Amino acid sequence: MIMERLGLRARLYLASGSILLLFAFNVGTHLWGSYARSESVLAYRDATEATTLVRNIEQGLSTENQRVQVLAALRETNAPIGETQREQANDELTSISDQLRALGGLSNTDTEAAFRAFYKPAADLLNEWMLFYGNYNDVTVPTSLSPETYTNTLEQLSALSDQHNNVAMERSTVIDNTIQLTDRITIIAFISSITITLVLILTLIRTTNASLFRLRVGVEKFGAGDLTHRIDENRDAGEIANLAQTFNEMSASLQTAMADLDDARSDAEAANEAKSMFLANVSHELRTPLNAIIGYSEMLQDEVSDGVEIDRDQFNHDLTTIIFSGRQLLALINDILDLSKIETGKMSVSVEPFNAAGLVVQVCDALSPLLAQNNNRLDLHVEGAKDVEVESDAAKVQQILTNLFSNACKFTKNGVISVVATVDDDTLQLSVADSGIGMTEEQQAKVFQAFVQADSKTSVNYGGTGLGLAIVSNFCDMLGGEIALTSTPGQGSKFDVSLPIVPA
Amino acid sequence: MTNAAVLLVEDNDINRDMLTRRLTRAGLTVISAADGRTALDRMRNDSPGVVLMDMTLPVLNGWEACEQAKADPTIAHIPIIALTAHAMAADRERAMSVGCSEYETKPIDFPVLLAKIYQFLEAAPA
Repeated sequence: MIMERLGLRARLYLASGSILLLFAFNVGTHLWGSYARSESVLAYRDATEATTLVRNIEQGLSTENQRVQVLAALRETNAPIGETQREQANDELTSISDQLRALGGLSNTDTEAAFRAFYKPAADLLNEWMLFYGNYNDVTVPTSLSPETYTNTLEQLSALSDQHNNVAMERSTVIDNTIQLTDRITIIAFISSITITLVLILTLIRTTNASLFRLRVGVEKFGAGDLTHRIDENRDAGEIANLAQTFNEMSASLQTAMADLDDARSDAEAANEAKSMFLANVSHELRTPLNAIIGYSEMLQDEVSDGVEIDRDQFNHDLTTIIFSGRQLLALINDILDLSKIETGKMSVSVEPFNAAGLVVQVCDALSPLLAQNNNRLDLHVEGAKDVEVESDAAKVQQILTNLFSNACKFTKNGVISVVATVDDDTLQLSVADSGIGMTEEQQAKVFQAFVQADSKTSVNYGGTGLGLAIVSNFCDMLGGEIALTSTPGQGSKFDVSLPIVPA
Repeated sequence: MTNAAVLLVEDNDINRDMLTRRLTRAGLTVISAADGRTALDRMRNDSPGVVLMDMTLPVLNGWEACEQAKADPTIAHIPIIALTAHAMAADRERAMSVGCSEYETKPIDFPVLLAKIYQFLEAAPA
């Protein structure tokens, strides 16, 4: 239906325009009917007027003829007529003559021929009578009245009268027909106007209702939670289509907002879960060295109190174990504190000049027991950083290297740990490579995230909280540098750190 | 009182050394394993009176080792005490669900552990 393709305003314009057009058609029909009627009535009036004139003329002629016949008979007795009588006769003749002309004025194409046929003998007759009156008192002039002229005139008049009657009859028939026709047209136009107007209004209501119904269904579905529902914009045009489009745009942004909200919620849930996991791990890791510390201490206490002679070497070894476990606990606590400082933004950077090569050698020396633990060998190259002072946070650079180095030692057995330090124009490059177990791509992607270990079994097999690399990554960021990781499972990992040697 | 051994399953060298020495001092015969698979072998071969099982173990972890032990009728009767640094309530339930008879968290309360071990050893058929 064409209405559905139109806007609301266009539909109203179309409907009211059509109704006005029909109304104008009705008025036009009515005016044409009135005009036709008045035309016919005018013609009919002419015809009746002519009939009246014909009757008057006929009567006038008849009266005058009788008088003339009487006067002609009386002329034998020689009684002259008076001046007054003659003038009266002249007036009557003139009156008849006027009526003739009036009749001529009423004649039309239908009656003209009949009128001419009549007018000729009538004019002759009037002349004859005029002469008769003029010469009446002069007895020398004989009376010359032609009875044929009178008869002829009456015949022609009768013919003219018939003609006029016919015309009048015709006119009245035409009037009847015209009235019938215009009445019929008016009624038909009126009924069709009403019908078409009703159809238009009903269609307008129906299509507009259908459009509004589609909108309502759309809003209801969306409101009931079907965020993917969209109203068909192509079913309508104009204002309703605009409304549908606006609604769809709103739906789309609402859907996006809801999706974002969902994402944010699952992110928050995931973060929460990660923190719970982390807490469980921290608890586990704290308990492992504590178990050794408490267990060995209680055992030594038992040995001291039971009076048996003490094996001093064994006693010393056990004390060393207690100290080692205590230090492990301390390192763990420090890592957790560092990370919590970083996370709450309380970790500050203090820049100072220091010798990079010296720092690297120092760290490697300090960690040599760790190196020996898994029977690893160190391959150290600091020539590229010799005699260069860099400006950075020495403590953080030291911790970055320490964490990377101890990780390398932890995940490598009977292998090589390679540490290289170089300084070029504006960058300090530190690289720590091992020939250890390496990581899959999936593990590499997660390894720098806080609270997440490459593998939840890692802490079981290799210890640690999984915080070391998160701290390294955060420190690199804080110093304005970058860290990159390349690793192959079973072949080893390589961490490349680049730090600016002057603060940005 | 039985002479049946206590099987200590623990991968951490320090903790294994410490517990072995303390249990021995307490008069118990201690045999040990450092992973879940070895633990199952020793349960089958040495018929220990009770097993102290760490849950985080290499090769075959403690949870799976417990399930396999309980599925093997020849060793299913041996009571297992779970020893773990996992201290959450869910961990205890999980240990019970895989067939452990008792659950002790690290750091170990040694007198309590000892009491539980004796309880199982005395209840066992001679």
